Amino acid sequence: MSTSPSDLPVQVAAAYYDGQTTAGKPVQLSIADGALLLRNGAQELRWPLAEVHVSERLGDTPRLLTYAGGGHCEVNDQAGLDKLLAQSGGGRDWLDVLHHSLPWAFAAVVLVVVVFFVSYKYLLPWGAEELAMRVPGSMLQKMGDSTLEALDKYMLKPSKLDEARQQALRDAYARLKTPLDPQLDYSIVFRSSPMGANAFALPNGTIVMLDGLVELAADDNEILAVLAHERGHVERRHAMRMVLQSSAVGLLLAWYVGDVSSLLATAPAIIMQAKYSRDMEREADVYAEQTMNANGLSPCLLGTILDKMETAHLAKMKEKHPEADAAKDDSAMDYLSSHPATAERMRLMCPGQ
Amino acid sequence: MQEQLGLKNKNFEFTGKGWEYFRIWIVNLLLTIVTLGIYSAWAKVRRLQYFYRNTRLDGGSFEYHGTPMAILKGRLIAFGLLIGYNAAFEFDPMIGLAVGGLLALVMPWMLMRSLCFKLYNSSYRGLRFGFAGSSRGAYRAFLLYPLLAGLTLYLLAPLAHQRIKQYQFDNSRFGNTAFRFGASPRGFYILYLSALAVMVGSVLLAIALAMMLGSGASGPAGFAAGFMLAGPFLMLIMLVAMLVVTSLFSAYMQNLVWGNTELGPHRFFSQVSARRLLWVRVSNFIGIALTLGLFTPFAAVRMARLQLESMGLAISGDLSGFVADQQQQATAAGQEAAEMFDVDISF
Repeated sequence: MSTSPSDLPVQVAAAYYDGQTTAGKPVQLSIADGALLLRNGAQELRWPLAEVHVSERLGDTPRLLTYAGGGHCEVNDQAGLDKLLAQSGGGRDWLDVLHHSLPWAFAAVVLVVVVFFVSYKYLLPWGAEELAMRVPGSMLQKMGDSTLEALDKYMLKPSKLDEARQQALRDAYARLKTPLDPQLDYSIVFRSSPMGANAFALPNGTIVMLDGLVELAADDNEILAVLAHERGHVERRHAMRMVLQSSAVGLLLAWYVGDVSSLLATAPAIIMQAKYSRDMEREADVYAEQTMNANGLSPCLLGTILDKMETAHLAKMKEKHPEADAAKDDSAMDYLSSHPATAERMRLMCPGQ
Repeated sequence: MQEQLGLKNKNFEFTGKGWEYFRIWIVNLLLTIVTLGIYSAWAKVRRLQYFYRNTRLDGGSFEYHGTPMAILKGRLIAFGLLIGYNAAFEFDPMIGLAVGGLLALVMPWMLMRSLCFKLYNSSYRGLRFGFAGSSRGAYRAFLLYPLLAGLTLYLLAPLAHQRIKQYQFDNSRFGNTAFRFGASPRGFYILYLSALAVMVGSVLLAIALAMMLGSGASGPAGFAAGFMLAGPFLMLIMLVAMLVVTSLFSAYMQNLVWGNTELGPHRFFSQVSARRLLWVRVSNFIGIALTLGLFTPFAAVRMARLQLESMGLAISGDLSGFVADQQQQATAAGQEAAEMFDVDISF
């Protein structure tokens, strides 16, 4: 054997366990003739390298060399083990490098942020839309029916409008030219509620029109504008998409920080879901604008009625809570609101006014 | 703890480092996101290996042997059950309830299998842990006692909790040596009642404050106005109270459970300080909120260090006398457990 120091066989200290008891033995590891040698004084074990599994590196944690025939060695000397393994020609794989480099960690932070942003802004809405558009009409029908049933039971009262008035509005709605959506049966139901002037769409195409809104409207075309907006929600499958998008956001956040605090997971989820809701309102506005134009009606009518609805709601709020400053600038709370500011919606739909 | 004759106290050591784990965590996170969650099984193995290997007792470290494929299988099943359950509810609440009932029936069995999985895939000094609990015991601990607790308006909740811990610990093995769980229901009752008392006390304090603030007006109107004024302040009091109570509760619970557990001739001890736990939790919370989650790996390392280094084993003689469970090896029961799924459910 040569005597120069660089040729000395690499030796690494390890603790050997036989897998049958917890009694460990200190050993010196070396490699010779394609085998791992474990030496303790005069005793020697010889493990063919092909049958030894080396656990991957994880920070500075001890690494295990496990022998298929039973037993393992625990090594704390990382640098020594690297030198030893280099003799058998083992390199580091890409995942190993990725997990242990600070520059890669920062690159990963940037990538995570980009992926989060792109998913939130584009991928998730796109995926939810693709999926929602494929939900069969029969299922939407069932969802809408059970929702209306529950609403009728707990929140809504029968309408006080006379039948002729209801029929006139139904006829006007039926005459409205809209894109074809053969999956659903679009209809209006009339109800009353202390909520006041409002209308909302159910997933099955049914639009619930509250008496308050009919009374508030100066003419039927304003009501048609609201109906067109609500129909936009249905045709673009907003209810289904909202369920999919908000549950995805909720799940993701719960997984990301949920084990630390549910509060940390829910607060951002609310803000993130509110943005989706505003986007959908804008989409329904665009749909209403197109529908109104196609029917020779002014899209400004939607703005007019929205403005009236907002005024009515504020008046109602003031009545209930006289001390609250209901007229405060709503732009400050924009990012939390489920609807875009009415002023902004009017500007978009009706730039002349 | 007092050193006793022939006993030496060895604390667990935790050698994990925040920056080191950060690199592993962020790569795991990225790969999990770009693979739409599939990689999470591999990420879990890496995470557990990092924490196990950094946990040392008397010179030896722990090792996690779970395979990503087994974890992935378990996660897919759990995910499928969750989706099915939610979809059933969306479709018809009655079907949803039926599916929920069915899930409750298989849950104890799944919990038992996941305990088998977790323990069989953990080792220390080359010897595997194991779990020998019966399905019968699982149904008693995870279904019967919680049901009784619910039926008695939670009067039996501390007892149910004790029975669950008893089932988990009494059936755990290291090699062929059994764990013994000695905490009586009494300790659980004392802990639950103290937590309740602190919680009720802070609610009363909050109400008193609201009444003081609303004392300008009279009657219920003044009271309501006081609440309106004090709203954010009261929320803060309740949040602080919740943090304090849950920290006290989990610190004392860990001390109660581990302080009364034995392994062969050796006895565990645990002295987590509730004050330090509160501090770690609050600072972790703030850190995570301020860094939009990037502090999470540091938080995990800090929490593991506090919880592990506060406990240890009073060793009688030394730890070299444990022997592998021959029966487990012969019947390949362990192998079966290793292939069964792993479900993350915490109590």
